[in-house]
Amino acid sequence: MKIIMIALMAGVIFGVGLALSGMVDPNKVINFLDVTGHWDPSLMFVLGGGVITTTLAYQFIFAQGKPLFDDDFHLPTLLKIDAKLLLGAVLFGIGWGLIGYCPGPAVASLGFRPGEPLIVVVSMLAGMLLYRTVAKT
Amino acid sequence: MTTALLVVGGLIVGIGVAMGGGCTSGHGICGMSRFSLRSITATMAFLISGIVTVYFVKLFLGASA
Repeated sequence: MKIIMIALMAGVIFGVGLALSGMVDPNKVINFLDVTGHWDPSLMFVLGGGVITTTLAYQFIFAQGKPLFDDDFHLPTLLKIDAKLLLGAVLFGIGWGLIGYCPGPAVASLGFRPGEPLIVVVSMLAGMLLYRTVAKT
Repeated sequence: MTTALLVVGGLIVGIGVAMGGGCTSGHGICGMSRFSLRSITATMAFLISGIVTVYFVKLFLGASA
């Protein structure tokens, strides 16, 4: 139960950050990727600010040996840079460039923007399910 | 932005994040902050891919959105 409340709190903070920074606006995202045209560098500062914050927080919390609200860290363990990683990233970038949405902002937008985000979230889930199903065979 | 584009784009994003194991939040923020080489590589890959995609979409359709 505590984990759920903490996750909820973390999600709310994340959602507020996404909305406040304008990252829930697909046009702002596409304009960041539009480096040769109407370039809007905002996303770079949002990503940069996030990375700086998390890097510092990680240094502190990793030194403690365990997370605040759990007994163990649950971190990814894969190390190899393989075709799956690269192709997956490239595909993600293509979809991202096409619609200006990625998972976080799309879900966060469900709360206040009708139409688009719902179509995007359902499609993303379908895509993930499709990949997982095919990958098992 | 047509429904068709949203659906196709969403599907591609879904397949891409499942295959690549992350996105701007997962690789971009969480992964890079741990100095994960996988995440730094993935982030550079999708940034370049996104930039190239927008460039060509603009080129062929005359619009970026």
